[in-house]
Amino acid sequence: MAESSTLICEENQHENVPVYEFMDVNSKEFHIGAFRDLWLDVLNPEVYSYSVTAPEIEDVEFMEEMGIEPKTLEELKSICSVDSLRSGHDGTDNVPSDLHLSTLKLRKRRQDYKETLTRYTVDRHEVYANEMEMTSVGKKPDDLRDLIPEGEIILTFNIMYPILFRRFKFVRAYQTLHVLGSQKLSDLRDAICCVSDLQVFGEFSNTPDMVPQFISKDHYKSAFFFFNGTFFNDTRFPECQDISKTTQEWTRTRDFPEFKTAKMEDTSFYDLKMKVGFPYLYTHQGDCEHVVILTDVRFVHQDDCLDIKLYPLITHKHRVVTRKCSVCHLYISRWITTSDALAPTDPCLFCDQCFRMFHYDDKGNKLGDFLAYAYVDPGTFN
Amino acid sequence: MSRKKLCEYYWAPFKSDCEELLGRFQQTESVRYEEFSAIWREMDFSGVFFGTQSDHEKRYFTRLIFTIAYRYILPPYSFQIRVGGLYMIYGLYNTQLIWPKEKIRIALKDWYDVQKLIADAKSCQHLDVVYIFKRLLSSKAFCFTAMPQKLTFEARERVQHNVNEEFRDHKNRVTELASIEMLEEIANMHGHYERLKKSSVPPSSGVTLLNLTYLVQKCAFEYQQWQDKIAAEKEKNSKKETTQKSESSSRAVMLAAIKSKSYGHVSKGTKSRRHRQVEMVTSGSGTDHALFSQKRRPPSLRTRTWQNFGKPSEPEQTQEWLLSVMEEDKNALKRKDIRRFKWRNNWL
Repeated sequence: MAESSTLICEENQHENVPVYEFMDVNSKEFHIGAFRDLWLDVLNPEVYSYSVTAPEIEDVEFMEEMGIEPKTLEELKSICSVDSLRSGHDGTDNVPSDLHLSTLKLRKRRQDYKETLTRYTVDRHEVYANEMEMTSVGKKPDDLRDLIPEGEIILTFNIMYPILFRRFKFVRAYQTLHVLGSQKLSDLRDAICCVSDLQVFGEFSNTPDMVPQFISKDHYKSAFFFFNGTFFNDTRFPECQDISKTTQEWTRTRDFPEFKTAKMEDTSFYDLKMKVGFPYLYTHQGDCEHVVILTDVRFVHQDDCLDIKLYPLITHKHRVVTRKCSVCHLYISRWITTSDALAPTDPCLFCDQCFRMFHYDDKGNKLGDFLAYAYVDPGTFN
Repeated sequence: MSRKKLCEYYWAPFKSDCEELLGRFQQTESVRYEEFSAIWREMDFSGVFFGTQSDHEKRYFTRLIFTIAYRYILPPYSFQIRVGGLYMIYGLYNTQLIWPKEKIRIALKDWYDVQKLIADAKSCQHLDVVYIFKRLLSSKAFCFTAMPQKLTFEARERVQHNVNEEFRDHKNRVTELASIEMLEEIANMHGHYERLKKSSVPPSSGVTLLNLTYLVQKCAFEYQQWQDKIAAEKEKNSKKETTQKSESSSRAVMLAAIKSKSYGHVSKGTKSRRHRQVEMVTSGSGTDHALFSQKRRPPSLRTRTWQNFGKPSEPEQTQEWLLSVMEEDKNALKRKDIRRFKWRNNWL
């Protein structure tokens, strides 16, 4: 019967149409590539293309579709034009005096309150909040080969900072990254900026001049993503180990379903099945764990940044206050000392110059007893 | 406080503005854009964007109102309200004040419903509905997404959306059941059954045959007649009552009239007090706002000590001294009242 076959079609559709699992919290799992295909089936390619069809062609198409005369179309255009929505007021910065809408009443109350304040505090976070996003909006590439193809999906990930510091317990600090559906997971991994990647190992109080040869990013290259029961490991370099193995062995002894493994650099986002709004995991450096949330999956729009070389694109970074040297309060601290008899606190931060002046004499001998480590400030990514 | 959190206070007032606009549109009982734009100009609705100084705040506000307005295009609202929602989105998109323009997010699951709406409009030859939709598509106002909102797993941003009962589409379940296709199917099955029976079993007299199709049709018809009768009576009654009201405010009268003449279904009652109660529930002093807690300062250690160990009913006898201030200056010791802006005034 015709009805049952349409039902079967609808069921196949329904599997990949994202719906809420918990209202307003997260969606159910869906395959991203199949989701894109469903949208492409339903949409006319002109709708998501970057170019704009000429108005005359649109008019002709509309007339054919609805079977109306050009005169009717003209009348329709004049009725439905944007001028019909124009308001009487020109000035948009201040709330107009005749208030009817409750939104405006609320805004006027707030405006009146603000005028009673004697000091106008400028919230710097707010002033510069959109700055990062605005630098990349609407950017077209110079080379047309770098243009993002129409119908591409953009995924937005919020990557939380690891909760290592006390300050991050109260604020949910995150970075927002936009990635294209055709990119691989390893591209996303490379774009995540975490301060633990830059940490340098070793105690340098005896050899302050020795430049450290490596940073943790080069040394510990393994990482994995955990999405929906599958561990995606980074296997590009020979040093990379499968750090998810310990977790998997542990789960085998307990009551957990079987987890699968896959390669990060072979999987593109189109192959993944994800839940929107659901927290996932990214681990690197062995134990630096980040919560990763997929916040948005959408089609690329002509007003987005269209240069493929700029993706993965960072649109929001939580700004961390950089910690300055305890001595001069001017320079950013590069050294951290512990069990230092000369320092006021334990541990204590110093910039390079103050550190050398304080702990070493003219000939470079070590004064006093202390342990010194190289310090990378969390605010280096600001 | 970040601008995003501040903008969420606009949820309730904007929702009540939307409902007023759509309520007036419902009262006109038509789906023509001309009527809608007349109401828009009268209410000066494009003024919702006015008054914000920073671009950042404008953007968050625009995103917020699109999220609110978008809900009105989807079921369970009635056809007229959904068309009104579409016009409202067209209006808001074209009168927004930021560049690049904020897009209207439309999820895949809702796209099917919207297509159905447009198809209905096409079949009824509502040219302006289709034209407006085509204009939105061609000006690339839509952003095709997976979910209607960005989901960031933050408890603060979850807001309840209560469907206004006035705008809900009342399905006529009896006519749906007794639709023409269904009746045809029943008739076919009945005929088939008769033939089979005749061919297989010798005709016995006992059982009287029921003509099911005819019965279902008759029931549906009776129900329809009864519904029309009730609606006509209610309208007569309400007309009498609305002429008697002379002193209530003009807005209450108008909104009460909307309630009484609502689009084709049985109305609940015309007392303005009844209506105002409904409006308060939907416009947000109670349930319709975000689930963040009120910020009340907990009692200080001093008050707690006095309450637990002292005599809570008597005021405290301790006298505070401030050496830098003259004794006669009583105001110096009083804690300076940091006047915070109260976003939600319950009497507003």
